[in-house]
Amino acid sequence: MPDPSAVLNAVVAGVLLGGFYAAVALGIAIAFGMLDIPNLSHPAFVVMGAFATWVLNNTFGIDPVLAGLIMTGPFFILGVLLYRLYHTCFESRGEAPLQGLAFFFGILFITEVVLVLTAGADYRSVQADYIGVSVNLGSVTLPLRMVVPFVVSIGMLLALQQFLSRSFTGRAILAVSQDKLALQLMGVSPTRIKALAFGISIATAAVAGSLLIIIQPVEPSIGRDFIGRAFAAVVLGGMGSFWGMLIASIILGITESIVSDMWNPSWAPAIAFGFLLPTLAFRSGGLLGRKL
Amino acid sequence: MSSITISHLGAGYGKVRVIQDLSMEVRSGETVALLGTNGNGKSTLIKCVMGLLTPAEGSIKAEIDGVTHELAGMRTEDIVSLGIALVPEGRRLFPRLTVEENLTIGAFRRVARKVLPRNIDFCFEAFPRLKERRTQLAGSMSGGEQQMLALGRALMSEPRILLIDEPSVGLAPLLVKRTIEKIAELKQEKQLTVLMAEQNFHQALRIADRGYVIVHGEIAFAGNSAAELNENDLIKKLYMGL
Repeated sequence: MPDPSAVLNAVVAGVLLGGFYAAVALGIAIAFGMLDIPNLSHPAFVVMGAFATWVLNNTFGIDPVLAGLIMTGPFFILGVLLYRLYHTCFESRGEAPLQGLAFFFGILFITEVVLVLTAGADYRSVQADYIGVSVNLGSVTLPLRMVVPFVVSIGMLLALQQFLSRSFTGRAILAVSQDKLALQLMGVSPTRIKALAFGISIATAAVAGSLLIIIQPVEPSIGRDFIGRAFAAVVLGGMGSFWGMLIASIILGITESIVSDMWNPSWAPAIAFGFLLPTLAFRSGGLLGRKL
Repeated sequence: MSSITISHLGAGYGKVRVIQDLSMEVRSGETVALLGTNGNGKSTLIKCVMGLLTPAEGSIKAEIDGVTHELAGMRTEDIVSLGIALVPEGRRLFPRLTVEENLTIGAFRRVARKVLPRNIDFCFEAFPRLKERRTQLAGSMSGGEQQMLALGRALMSEPRILLIDEPSVGLAPLLVKRTIEKIAELKQEKQLTVLMAEQNFHQALRIADRGYVIVHGEIAFAGNSAAELNENDLIKKLYMGL
């Protein structure tokens, strides 16, 4: 019988880890779930965000979270430009699905190589007052380097959720993958809406990157560790559903944390993915997806 | 004041010419029926007016509040912004958005955003069914309800000119009758200018002031009243096999 307080600690650690996964998965939920853009390179942009945070933190001593927020501007522009390129080369020619995957796979590698060439292949980390500090609540230990990313991630998710459900632009983003022609008839340019939304999706990678480098040191190819988990969270949660994605991220986080604490870290991803299959077998639309 | 004048329009897909040298007009406050069986170019004409298809030749002029715009070559989004709305064939709702979200997105146009609450109330009053189902996903509703929602969504953009493509398709006869009557009622209340493409000429003529019969991409007959169309030999031949 495992120690109850150890189990509790593992669960709490898992929830916090899940919150961070949600920050990474958020951009994928937008690109895949709402825009039908197969952006496989998203985790690479997260790592790029982490390195940008490292530069701002190391050179100017800017707080990592603030650095991530500052980088949302340039990342947004980068996302808009990347979508324009993707749209001109593939989407507008109706060759999106397969060629698009190859395109973003290429972007993933190019981004990694650019990072290695400019920042080197070493592990980089940031400094902030809360890194290395823990708060104890009874028998539960809360390391602030996990709590801060969790809070920022949930905040980002709430803000985007509000934007999507309350603003005219947000609702157009929700509609764009359902019927482009109908959206034009509402007076909206689907290409502009998709460029904007993809810009937002890449901007979330800047924030997710700053959270990643708060949690652990980062090297250029570390994004690969998260590709599977982030995609799993999006599919498991239900394409296009933020809350489903958050719940799925937390389930993955808790499972991973418990399995690696109680049993063996190597099994953690396998068990987490084990959840994916039965969920999809019983609920093909994911946990909370809007299904007809 | 709002009207459409189409002159010498030619349009098609690739090398296939669907419409040739077609001229017609919809005057302010009229309900004009565009009649013709399948494949004669009704939808192609509507697509040209909405900028979904660029005409090969000719012009489409829309006059809205004293300003004349050339629609040929304009983008669909800009045409909608002028105050021209289309209820498309097959309704084209956003299936995974709720009834209310579908209506709200209809008010994307700048001038429509300010009057969104008033227009939502108007739609719910005109179609009480939509109010009951406001939180339901549009794709899960019946054909008749979807047609109501499509009409309501088009009206949310505060249009001056409303185009309706085949409102009766896929509806039971009783619903066709009701939909057509509803269009007349909404047109009256919102003071619209309406161009309606329809195969069901009996129903269309119940509310139309005038009509054009389109055959092989050309205007085969222009009727100045519903009675004139009813008496026409061509219509008898096309629709009744006489």
